[in-house]
Amino acid sequence: MIIMDVVYVAWRELLKFFRARVRLLVTVIQPLIWLGLMGNMMQGLTQNPFIERLLGTTSYLAFMTPGIILMTVLFGGVFSGLSIVWDRRIGYLEKLLAAPISRAAIPLGKMVASAIQGGFQGLLILLIALGLGVRFSTGLAGVLFALLVAMTFSLILSGFSLTLASRIKSQETLMALVNFFTMPLMFTSNALFPREAMPAWLSAIAQINLVTHAVTPIRQVLLFGWDWSSMWVSLVVIGGLALLMAFLAGQSFLRATAE
Amino acid sequence: MEAVRVENLVKIYHGGIRAVDGVSFTINEEEIFGFLGPNGAGKSTTIKCIIGLVRPTAGRIWIFGVDVERDPGVVKRSIGYAAQETAVDDQLTGWENLYLQGRFHHLSPKEIRARGEEVLRLFGLWERRNDLAQTYSGGMLKRLDIACALIHRPRILFLDEPTLGLDVQTRKAIWDYIRKLRDEHKMTIFLTTHYMEEADELSDRVAIIDHGKILALDKPGALKAALGGDLITLKFASQDERLPALLSAIRALPGVRDLRSSPDGIHWIWVEQRGDQLIPELVQLALSYGIQVDSVRLKRPTLDDVYLHYTGREIREAEASREEHVRARILQRRVRR
Ligand SMILES: Nc1ncnc2c1ncn2[C@@H]1O[C@H](COP(=O)(O)OP(=O)(O)OP(=O)(O)O)[C@@H](O)[C@H]1O
Ligand SMILES: [Mg+2]
Repeated sequence: MIIMDVVYVAWRELLKFFRARVRLLVTVIQPLIWLGLMGNMMQGLTQNPFIERLLGTTSYLAFMTPGIILMTVLFGGVFSGLSIVWDRRIGYLEKLLAAPISRAAIPLGKMVASAIQGGFQGLLILLIALGLGVRFSTGLAGVLFALLVAMTFSLILSGFSLTLASRIKSQETLMALVNFFTMPLMFTSNALFPREAMPAWLSAIAQINLVTHAVTPIRQVLLFGWDWSSMWVSLVVIGGLALLMAFLAGQSFLRATAE
Repeated sequence: MEAVRVENLVKIYHGGIRAVDGVSFTINEEEIFGFLGPNGAGKSTTIKCIIGLVRPTAGRIWIFGVDVERDPGVVKRSIGYAAQETAVDDQLTGWENLYLQGRFHHLSPKEIRARGEEVLRLFGLWERRNDLAQTYSGGMLKRLDIACALIHRPRILFLDEPTLGLDVQTRKAIWDYIRKLRDEHKMTIFLTTHYMEEADELSDRVAIIDHGKILALDKPGALKAALGGDLITLKFASQDERLPALLSAIRALPGVRDLRSSPDGIHWIWVEQRGDQLIPELVQLALSYGIQVDSVRLKRPTLDDVYLHYTGREIREAEASREEHVRARILQRRVRR
């Protein structure tokens, strides 16, 4: 049963995720710092009608909350790839391959674990934002929707890092390579700044950036309300990419272990 | 029934390294089969080919009559494997490691609970099952690793250098576990080692492998015997006129190959095997001729001699540097974290 195999591969990752207290604490404190510090700092700057029009809201904190969620998920996705490199190094991967489990379940399980972690982190950030006074216009349904998008986005990132990890057998190289993509991806998106405030060239990049595609629907639903006509393209892009990455991660893992 | 049959196995890695070069052998059910060879001989590669982790370049392999390449799923269910490098997730507890391994073998939680307790008790880990594997000693980790390989009651167990880098007591304890698995649980065991005593003590049959080829394969005793057998050195307390008659009687004993005497009264007796069992008989015989035995010494060829004979290398040289290497690597892993 491939589904049970996926469940138990994911379960192992989650067990370790929730056991690593320090890492867990960091995942709470980091967004707290971002939101508390940067959100407040920018609040003063953004308190004028012009910028408020660009943001579409009077609260920069509310504006940046979806961005912080995706940033956390983005940088968390790397760990999937790292975990498989680690498993290979300690010989655990070989042990898995010697067991009668479906091989594809190994990368898929790690992706699922990453998505659940992403959802959990997203939830924490939303709670922090709530504590800091941000209000979500669509209530619980909107929150669930936002988490679902964040989890889908997490699948893309973990799938990407797993695809690379099948080839790259050093943690340092993998880390460097993934960051090489994620950093620019983050800062050429509308996660922290509205596209309307960007120079034309950057705005053009931001428009096709997949982070933007994930941020836009979350921001739309949390801040403004359900508007499927402005969201469906982004949702299709994110969903499609997640499927594609799952496929690629599976393929490259199967190829790498065919020897 | 044959547990394993390997025919003309060849593995050439990328880059042209011939790790295994035309190996054939069979392992009988409930046999402990030892693979003895120096570093890089091709021991691990052979195991990995048999259990389907590495695709052979040529050759065929059957486990309990099932073709490994054609039916890997069936084969995987009947084998247990503990790799050369202990593969325990040390961020999980002993029990979690075992539980997951059980799930990966598609056992139900109930089966895992029953079987898990049994193997953990067998390996003396039950009391520590809820501690993180991080807190285990090297020997405990190795035992946990072997326990994990047993969770699904495999019919055959593959152990790649199960006692590498462990101290003498731990090594002996693991030998006892391995014997128990065979004697009480009717398991077939394939183990690789580069420890001479391990192959000698444990295996019913030993294959000596070097440069990807099997150089010799037989019972440890027979391998040693082929090299010339035991040598008994004998001295009598008194010179007696009945001595020549005694000597010819000794010559006529079954298993005695040759007897030579020195002018000063020392007698060398070459025996095919089990010289230790012959000694009481010799003493009795001498007494029946009224001759007292002054001293007896037995020298048995060791597997060391056999190994040296076939590989032209002393295993001990490699052993020391190897051990250091392994320890360094374990240390390195710990530091990395
Ligand atoms: N994945 C690999 N790619 C290329 N060459 C390999 C690979 N694995 C092993 N080899 C080579 O194949 C040969 C046999 O290696 P193997 O690991 O089977 O030896 P071994 O008998 O288990 O040695 P040791 O006692 O050191 O564990 C060696 O020369 C080794 O360098
Ligand atoms: Mg080896």
